[in-house]
Amino acid sequence: MTLATLLLIAAGLIGVGVYGALSQQSFVMIMMGFELIINGVLLAGVAFWALATAGEPRGQVLVIVGLLVMAIEAAMGFALVVNVYRARGADTTEGIDSMSH
Amino acid sequence: MNPETSLWTDLAFWAFGLAAVWYGWRVFRTDSMVRATFALLASFLNVGAIMVLLLAEYLGTALFFMMAVEMAVMAIFMVAFMMNPAGLNPMQMVHQHRFAIVAGAATFAGLAGLGFAVDFPDRPLIIAADTIQQLGFELMGSSMLVMQSIGVTLLATMIGAVVLSSKWGRYGDSDAGSVPPSLDPEQREEDRS
Amino acid sequence: MPLASVYANDWLAIPVLLAVVVGGVYLVSVLDELFGEVVSGSRPNLGRSLRLPVRQAALLLCQSATRTEHPDRILWPVAPAAYAALAAAGMAVIPFAEGFAVADVRTGIVVFGAAEVLTFVAVYLHGWSANAPLALIGGYRSLVQGFSFMLLSMFVLIGVALPARSLSVGQIVEAQSGLWNVVRHPLGLPLFLVVGLGAALWGPLRLPDSRELAGGTVGEVSGPQRLAWEFARRAMLVSYAVMAASAFLGGYLGPWLPGPVWLLGKSVAMLAVFVALGHLVGRVRPERFMAQAWTVLLPLSFLDILIAGVEALP
Repeated sequence: MTLATLLLIAAGLIGVGVYGALSQQSFVMIMMGFELIINGVLLAGVAFWALATAGEPRGQVLVIVGLLVMAIEAAMGFALVVNVYRARGADTTEGIDSMSH
Repeated sequence: MNPETSLWTDLAFWAFGLAAVWYGWRVFRTDSMVRATFALLASFLNVGAIMVLLLAEYLGTALFFMMAVEMAVMAIFMVAFMMNPAGLNPMQMVHQHRFAIVAGAATFAGLAGLGFAVDFPDRPLIIAADTIQQLGFELMGSSMLVMQSIGVTLLATMIGAVVLSSKWGRYGDSDAGSVPPSLDPEQREEDRS
Repeated sequence: MPLASVYANDWLAIPVLLAVVVGGVYLVSVLDELFGEVVSGSRPNLGRSLRLPVRQAALLLCQSATRTEHPDRILWPVAPAAYAALAAAGMAVIPFAEGFAVADVRTGIVVFGAAEVLTFVAVYLHGWSANAPLALIGGYRSLVQGFSFMLLSMFVLIGVALPARSLSVGQIVEAQSGLWNVVRHPLGLPLFLVVGLGAALWGPLRLPDSRELAGGTVGEVSGPQRLAWEFARRAMLVSYAVMAASAFLGGYLGPWLPGPVWLLGKSVAMLAVFVALGHLVGRVRPERFMAQAWTVLLPLSFLDILIAGVEALP
């Protein structure tokens, strides 16, 4: 469980998250991709905190800010999904085309 | 005991880590939306378990708690906004698939390469430290500004989410086509009747 | 598991935990029968109440299990097992005597809260896996019900943790050696009882399995799986009773008698209160309960944590 192997797992999570966020058509699935990316970032944060900073408390605060980012992204994302569905009746990215040329 | 020396800890870490990545991949391969949501929850629970192994026990258990709630909320939204909630029809709703695979693989390779190539400082955690108490003192002490900002930001998010998703607009129900009154006085007379 | 983060860790406590779970489930069933007879006006028959849960369990074991069309074959039987495991996990962080617990971790109440939240996920999966409409509606009711009072439970438990200056249940019990928390924070125990009823799907808050949904999440379940579900519900009630006894009534603290006897007595008292509430309070409508939970109970929990914070100031 060295820092390198932990970062390997975190990189795997971020890679899968990037694949999901770029490839999915449905809004909620894209949000799941973002959640996976932030998951990987949180794991990397805790890995750095435990193995490279000797338990500096501000590392934990940074990870809590990461949790906050995840919560805000989920809340605002769902609110926007609901709003876009009411305004345009679209639940996939292919359904809205007002900004495509 | 150092977080990295025990064999059991290493085996547990590899088991949790590979399970987390595998469940993360399964999110985008299942047909059923509920299974996708709870595969993501399983991924998060495995990451939380790794955090507990690294002795960040408050962060790990708080992650269990928070992610269970978030995935429950997501399950509601998945079934509401996906046309294939029960997974009865096979579906593959992707676009720019090859580009996404390349981008994901490149991200993984780049970050993993950084993880192995860069010489990070090696200062492992002091085992006897009470990490939860340190976190508490830090949040309420020198990081109080962070705490206040978190509080205000979450309040703004709550208000914003409720406003954005509220059905009752300023001029009536959104389902009834809530629009402001027309600027033309004769049109307004007509609308009122 | 790094042992530095655990205050008390005893392998002998695991069989004790299992015995408490099984014994507690049987006791809940017996008390349920007795209270039912008292409330309905007939004379309580102790012998019958002692035999009836065993006979019902035997009947369910011999019953055939129903099948639905394309259920989720893995998650459907796993859901009651997960529910019971979460009840046991919640009870694992509670010490039975001084220094005797399965794993009295430093973040005990966060683990208990996480077990409670995962309970709603387990109930939802139980309803969804059956691939039947009313079961699915029951599953969604569990999410709705859960969101309405999970914040309540966390605020109440944080209020209890403040005088102990620790998130571990053992330290919370030790901090009550001067005064029980039920006296220090009077609002805490009633709110925690509401949470316990909801997490165990008991009495007034038995919304996911309710009669108007023709059984809800258990409507399509029969046979051994039904027995597992009823066992898991009662196990969760036992877990909440032991937690209420530890967090509010001083756990194993008490004069003359040994610690575990006090904890047993207090837990049985809490179980009796839960079972009585199940029989005396009618089932609420989901919308009405949600409105009450968010507009009345949540502000009361804020008040409780305010009282706890002010009282814990040095």
